[in-house]
Amino acid sequence: MPTKLNPEFERRKKNMTDTLAVDVRGLEKNFGSVHALNGLDLRVATGSVAGFLGPNGSGKSTTIRILLGLLRADGGTATLLGGDPWRDAVELHRRVAYVAGDVTLWPNLTGGQAIDILGALRGDVDRSRIDKYLQLFDLDPTKKARSYSKGNRQKVALVAAFSSRAELLILDEPTNGLDPLMEGVFTDCVSEAKGEGRSVLLSSHIFAEVEKLCDTVTIIREGRTVESGTLSELRHLQRSTITVTIDGDPASLAGVDGVYDLTADGSRVSFGVDESALARVMKALAPLGPRGLISTPPSLEELFLRHYGVHADDAARDAKAATTR
Amino acid sequence: MTAITTQHARTEALTPGRGRVIDAYAGFGIMVRFILRRNWLRMLIWTIVLAGLVVIVVQSQRVAFPTQADREAYASIANTPAVAAMTGLPYAASTLGGILNIKIWMTLAVALAFAVIFLVTRNGRAEEEAGRTELLRGGVLGQHAYSLADWIVNAGFTVVVGVMIALAAISQRLPVEGAFAMGASIMGVGLVFIGVAAVAGQLAQTSRGANTLATIVLGVAYLVRAAADLQAHGDNPSGLSWVSPIGWGQQMRSYGENQWWPLAISVVAAAVLGGVALLLERRRDVGEGILPDRPGPRHAAALTMTPVGLTLRLQRGSIIGWTIGVLIGALFFGSVATAMAKLLAGNTPITQAFTGGSKDLVEGLLGFFAMANVLLISAFALQSADSIRSEEANGRAELQWSRAISRTGWALSRIVVPAVASLLLLLLSGSFIGASFGASVGDASQGGRFALASLAYWPSVLLIIAFVVFCAAWLPRAASAVTWAVYGVLVVLTMFGDLFGLPDWLIHHTLFTAVPRVGQEFSAVPLIVISALAIVLAALGLQRLRSRDMTSA
Repeated sequence: MPTKLNPEFERRKKNMTDTLAVDVRGLEKNFGSVHALNGLDLRVATGSVAGFLGPNGSGKSTTIRILLGLLRADGGTATLLGGDPWRDAVELHRRVAYVAGDVTLWPNLTGGQAIDILGALRGDVDRSRIDKYLQLFDLDPTKKARSYSKGNRQKVALVAAFSSRAELLILDEPTNGLDPLMEGVFTDCVSEAKGEGRSVLLSSHIFAEVEKLCDTVTIIREGRTVESGTLSELRHLQRSTITVTIDGDPASLAGVDGVYDLTADGSRVSFGVDESALARVMKALAPLGPRGLISTPPSLEELFLRHYGVHADDAARDAKAATTR
Repeated sequence: MTAITTQHARTEALTPGRGRVIDAYAGFGIMVRFILRRNWLRMLIWTIVLAGLVVIVVQSQRVAFPTQADREAYASIANTPAVAAMTGLPYAASTLGGILNIKIWMTLAVALAFAVIFLVTRNGRAEEEAGRTELLRGGVLGQHAYSLADWIVNAGFTVVVGVMIALAAISQRLPVEGAFAMGASIMGVGLVFIGVAAVAGQLAQTSRGANTLATIVLGVAYLVRAAADLQAHGDNPSGLSWVSPIGWGQQMRSYGENQWWPLAISVVAAAVLGGVALLLERRRDVGEGILPDRPGPRHAAALTMTPVGLTLRLQRGSIIGWTIGVLIGALFFGSVATAMAKLLAGNTPITQAFTGGSKDLVEGLLGFFAMANVLLISAFALQSADSIRSEEANGRAELQWSRAISRTGWALSRIVVPAVASLLLLLLSGSFIGASFGASVGDASQGGRFALASLAYWPSVLLIIAFVVFCAAWLPRAASAVTWAVYGVLVVLTMFGDLFGLPDWLIHHTLFTAVPRVGQEFSAVPLIVISALAIVLAALGLQRLRSRDMTSA
């Protein structure tokens, strides 16, 4: 327990943590010689929906398990609803609902029983809310868990989470195994939860879902945060795709600095352009008589892929160039 | 016109279940190798243990009955209702082979039956329940290939066990034909129960259900032949014996007349059961059972929503099953004690082993039974407490620990159930032993005395539970194997310590033998020491469970 040095400082600190439902800084976790997390940062503002993106094995579930006090961090700090996720686990869990990506239930209990038990373990069982979400997710609660498909087991956890009154929903790839119809229901439920003033941490690798739902996005790679912010912040300074019909010779565009991947189909050309080079490119474009110009900002998927696979090296180089510039 | 007929013919050929017969067995060879690879160690251990028991028993009996005169004397008293009911009707009891049969045949046959039931289910229904069969069947694997491979590998296993039992007996210079008849008779029982487990695996939808069904059949077979052995004419059981698969094995009368033809009944029965299982498998979908799965309650009962209530609910079936088993055992122990005491009259090493040197034979024997009863209750307590580990291993602990319950609180809810249930079981089964013994000697006060004597073992059971907690916390991945192995060693030390000629200080200071027996002078010291150890181990375990990372399987 730190001593209270300055009441003003304490008050400000409290305010800060009040506005952040999740505050993770420089988190580290090792499993033997494997570094699962190498200084991961993650923030979820109270009342917002935060997307948490990364491929399998990048450390999403490890981070979430640390936030739930199931694993102990080896370094860095993690704060959950203003408390310590390890030390204050029991108290915090009354205010948190968690859905794992792979839900294991008791095979000889029914889905309805499991939902009640999970609610009771958190401390609130609201039968009318449970019934509402059972209907929304179209789940038969009288079936034994062993006969549920993957998607139905997922629904059990989702119904338990949404029907609770938890302030924070931690959802780890929750739509794993759900059909597109149910993904739609899930999207509505998250929006509704946000409307109720709850905070949501949504780990996923479904870009459309994150793009639609999330106020902020954190992208991680190999246990480290590589990108985080609102979608428009992430798009800032990123390459947009421009498609336009011109009268002039498209070849003159090829020489312009900041134009990439120029392709021409008759008079219709498309190319990528750096945000910073936009003014210059527009100047070069104007004399060519542009018509029907469409500018497409990078999708979340493109932003994400810049950190992975064949584009990862490009991104790393760009990032390096940006810092030296 | 021709086109339509052709199409019609093709449709018929493509109708499910009407493909070429041979296709249903495609991949059989691969599955045989696959099953062997997954099970060879289990099968090897079973073989070594079962054949090893033969060697140990022959040697101990040679010491117990060194001369032909000793064996003749034994033969004259061997045939009592208790022996007939428990281990089968004695015959040829004046030969070492006959004595071997009395001492171990039933144990080997029942153990092999259990082994194949669990192995067949493990590679059959359990795989299907886990969804792995579906994965394999999605490839080029015939409908029956996996199941048939499972049964054939198990049949091979029973043959090996039979041969090894025979060779073990021959190595101890027992008659060759008798040795092979013994091996073959035990093998026959194994084969029939492969068939039983095969059918059970088709009927039930879960591995638990399949094991339960097959075990019930085994239990009925045991009881039927016990009834037959009790209604004997001389050393021949009543005709009822032919109803039980275990009876077919007994009717081979190894080391006696060595009749080989009953083996044919077992083999034919196994084949018929296998055929029935194949027919059932043809008629059902992957993952489904023949017996229906009923809908359950929509809501959890208020009790189930508490941590202790949830533990009780999850273990309800197991607790009921153990209670019935333990209480039947207790009634049996109490009622046969006087009969067995007469049988054991005379101061042989066997008598010594059973009675722990107690002066009064009946008292000594009852003390031994009370201890055997406690071993059963300990097995229940171990299994129940093991849920601390199994829930974490299969991922359900994550579900619970991420709710508002501390790990310590959660673990305590898992400990308190076996602790309290074992206390009740000790009191109940103790009074059952006492009451049934009291009924046979006309003394109604025995119930209370035995209830109290059994109660003295409660700290020992608590120490077992504490040890499970300790292992689950400190060695999560090895916990189940370690605790069961330690329990196995304890059982052998407690029950057979004397027979192995182990040093006295060891025999008298194990977890169960250190506790004062019925008829012995009571001393609180061992109970206090054991309780203290239990508290320390449990505390260390809970402390560790609280401070370590969650560790899934």
